[in-house]
Amino acid sequence: MTNATSAPVLELKNINKSFGPIDVLHDISLQLRAGEVLCLLGDNGAGKSTLIKILSGVHVPSSGSILMDGSPVSFATPRDASDRGIATVHQFGGTFPLMSIGRSFFVGAEPTKGWGPFRVFDRKKANEVAVKAVRDFGITRIEDGDRLVGGLSGGERQSLAIARAVHFGARVLILDEPTAALGVKQATHVLRIVNQAKKRGLAVIFITHQVMHAMAVGDHFAVLIRGSVAADFKKGERTREEITDLMAGGETMAGLEKEIEDYMSSHDGHPPPAGH
Amino acid sequence: MSAQSAAPGVARASNFSLGGLLRRPEAGALLGLVAVFVFFTIFGGTGFLTPDSAAGWLNIAANLGMVAFPIGLLMIAGELDVSIGSMIPASSMTIAIVSGHYQQNIWLGVAAALGVGVLVGLVNGFLVVRTAVPSFIVTLGTLFATAGFVLGLSVLLTGSTSVVINSDGVAKQIFGSFIDQTFQVMIFWWLLATAIYIYFIHYSHYGNWIFAMGGDKESARNAGIPTRKLTIMLYVLSSTSAAFVGMCQALLFNVAQVSVGQSFIFNSIISVVVGGVLLTGGFGSIIGIFFGTITFAVVNQGIYFTSFDRNWSSLIIGILLLIAVLMNNTFRKMALTYAPKKK
Amino acid sequence: MKLKTCVTALAAVAGLAFTLSAAQAASIAVVGGKNDDFFWNKIKKGIDDATPAVVANGGKVNYLRLQTYDNFAPDVVALIKTAISQKVDGLVIPDWVPDAEDPAIAEAKKAGIKIILMNAGGAEEMKKTGAINYVGTDEYTAGVAGGEYFGAKGKKNILCVNTLPGTANIEARCKGIADGAAKSGAKSTQLPLPSSSFGDPTAVAEAIKATLIKDPSIDAVATIGAGDADSAATALKQASLTGKVSLGCFDFNDGTLARIKSGEQMFAIDQQPYLQALLAVQLLAANIDFGTDLPTRPVLTGPGIVDASNIDATLAGVKKGAR
Repeated sequence: MTNATSAPVLELKNINKSFGPIDVLHDISLQLRAGEVLCLLGDNGAGKSTLIKILSGVHVPSSGSILMDGSPVSFATPRDASDRGIATVHQFGGTFPLMSIGRSFFVGAEPTKGWGPFRVFDRKKANEVAVKAVRDFGITRIEDGDRLVGGLSGGERQSLAIARAVHFGARVLILDEPTAALGVKQATHVLRIVNQAKKRGLAVIFITHQVMHAMAVGDHFAVLIRGSVAADFKKGERTREEITDLMAGGETMAGLEKEIEDYMSSHDGHPPPAGH
Repeated sequence: MSAQSAAPGVARASNFSLGGLLRRPEAGALLGLVAVFVFFTIFGGTGFLTPDSAAGWLNIAANLGMVAFPIGLLMIAGELDVSIGSMIPASSMTIAIVSGHYQQNIWLGVAAALGVGVLVGLVNGFLVVRTAVPSFIVTLGTLFATAGFVLGLSVLLTGSTSVVINSDGVAKQIFGSFIDQTFQVMIFWWLLATAIYIYFIHYSHYGNWIFAMGGDKESARNAGIPTRKLTIMLYVLSSTSAAFVGMCQALLFNVAQVSVGQSFIFNSIISVVVGGVLLTGGFGSIIGIFFGTITFAVVNQGIYFTSFDRNWSSLIIGILLLIAVLMNNTFRKMALTYAPKKK
Repeated sequence: MKLKTCVTALAAVAGLAFTLSAAQAASIAVVGGKNDDFFWNKIKKGIDDATPAVVANGGKVNYLRLQTYDNFAPDVVALIKTAISQKVDGLVIPDWVPDAEDPAIAEAKKAGIKIILMNAGGAEEMKKTGAINYVGTDEYTAGVAGGEYFGAKGKKNILCVNTLPGTANIEARCKGIADGAAKSGAKSTQLPLPSSSFGDPTAVAEAIKATLIKDPSIDAVATIGAGDADSAATALKQASLTGKVSLGCFDFNDGTLARIKSGEQMFAIDQQPYLQALLAVQLLAANIDFGTDLPTRPVLTGPGIVDASNIDATLAGVKKGAR
């Protein structure tokens, strides 16, 4: 674990975010190192997506600071974030279903050949590079760069999007529920690719609410509850059951269960009356 | 690793197959056109293929095609422009009023007519980009506004809703004349435009940007594509193209009228859809739109070479266009579900 | 000079009459279309020219115009009610929407207002509403005149181009052409164009051209409007048939008149809106003031044929805003 001693690639310090009178994030502090997967866990509405949007430059935090390689940065637009090497891949891959693999891979950064006003899109090169990039991630079923992205499986689309981010020099990869809509086999595929990205030295933020998937790739876990970091721990410090409990509302849920049990034992096994 | 990277090269060699051709967006459009040709050959003989008659549908296709291309691009980018319906009379009235009614230099009229197109395009573009109102509604607004403005202004200035413009010389020659008395010079503009559009959409990187915008605007913007600038440009293009058609019409027919052009709205959308462009954006091709426009023109004109009662024209046109679109959908599905055979 | 003295004398008499008995002078309201509508400006010219004679007899004319066509029937009814509340003696009104207008017209009649229908309504509505006359046009009669004209010029096979198939008054135009042509043994077929061609001059021209090529026996073309005649003229030129195939149309625009002048077009059928307003106002005023009654019912202001014989006078009328 040499990585643990290096400076964090990305660090959040006391981030707060409120929309008008509604506080969404309180005092979030997190660190992310190269070659490390941070799993961001939390129930719906816990503030995961707001946090991602702050990291990818869609929202600006109300207070607090974002540091990259130790120096503070601010993102006014998503473009700023991606220029800094932060790439976000959304649930459905964020790719263009009716474009070819080669074309969608290079959207916004098309390779061209020729000169002056006669520069043309280099389809051959684009297809070669794109196909090679996804195959390097182990997706060997993709051979033809002219195939439409919409014809790929969900896992393949995720892989294509991740390969694209890596190819364009991403240092921080934010994966927003990449496995949520996938079957077991496809999800395994994506998890393998997350591991590969990690091995290549990328810092990965992996958002999920499937504990199994998180435990398979995560080095470092943060659980968000109602906009605060409820727990922040390293791999092996908690069991699967403990993490599940945390996500489902944490200790409060266990406490409630005990309360109900106590009540039932002292009332001849009757549950408490409704509306109590 | 080296074995893996060699594989795509091998796979690419198999691209030039029949299957590969059929998966292209224009395949359905081409087959639709062939079907329409076969239909009219059976029911009307080959009369509609003689030069004189071919000029008929080529003229219609050329006028429609000039507008259909930019409309197709807007639809690929996920937008719509219905204001072209009043842009055509607006520009033809402009040139007729400037160069006909006020007898100014014809080139001033040409510049004014195209200028009106640029102006309306900018208004459309800025409104679509700045407000969150769907482009159909925005351009529906400018459709009516432009129509009202043209009617009001032309009655105010000329006291009439139709203005004569008699011109000769170079402007008439290159914009509004017949070649060999039957072929509108517009056909050449249209072929030229086809070549330019093919280059920009399928060979330069701008095409990729437009497809990306239609596929997912948010992702396209995040990938660094200037989506706003591009949207405004596309609106300027569509309304200037419509202005060009209106201007040429005025020069060709020697008269401009307030009440023409509305049929171009639906005709261009139909041609674009028959040409394989997806109504929801993100998919299509210039060659497809080219074929779609010819299909539409042939269907419209072919009727006159058959012995069907003319009262059934609209029915036959409707059915043929539906068949053409259905063919398209079939081919698009093929393209989407295509995956190479497992080895 | 003589006229001037005459008018002055009349005005003096009128002024006297007005002071003696205001009730006898006709106060007339005319309802008409929008300000920026070309057609209604010719109507206005007719009203303006009829007004001095009414004023000379101590009466007055009030022209009530629709501001928009967006809320058509209710707005027309509102104008009729305005006329009633102004306690006019006579009302000239186009019966555009009989179902909506007739109750209001009946109300006006009950209030003692004399009615003349103008431009729209026809003989049938005239009887229904109890109006004293109808001054206007009849599409079918206009068509018959066109058909007869073609027949008189020896035309045998007339193509009637209909860009608005299914519209009742437009269908009547083509039917009239056919019936008029039949009187001299000629025939007329209709070419209904699909709505996808409407407003696209190229498509209209190509459709006409294709039909002419397919049937070389066609020796005349009629269009239902002036704009379509522009397209038809181009079609004839393209097919090298200008002069061989004659062209006639309903209504006219500047292009039509220029073609008639140069001989490229045979004639145009005009409903002469100027006359509609001029006659309607005069007839009504004379009826109110002097009890005159024109036995001709309805009074048709069209068809007036514009051809080479009267093109110069027509052009002069256009300049003055009457044609």
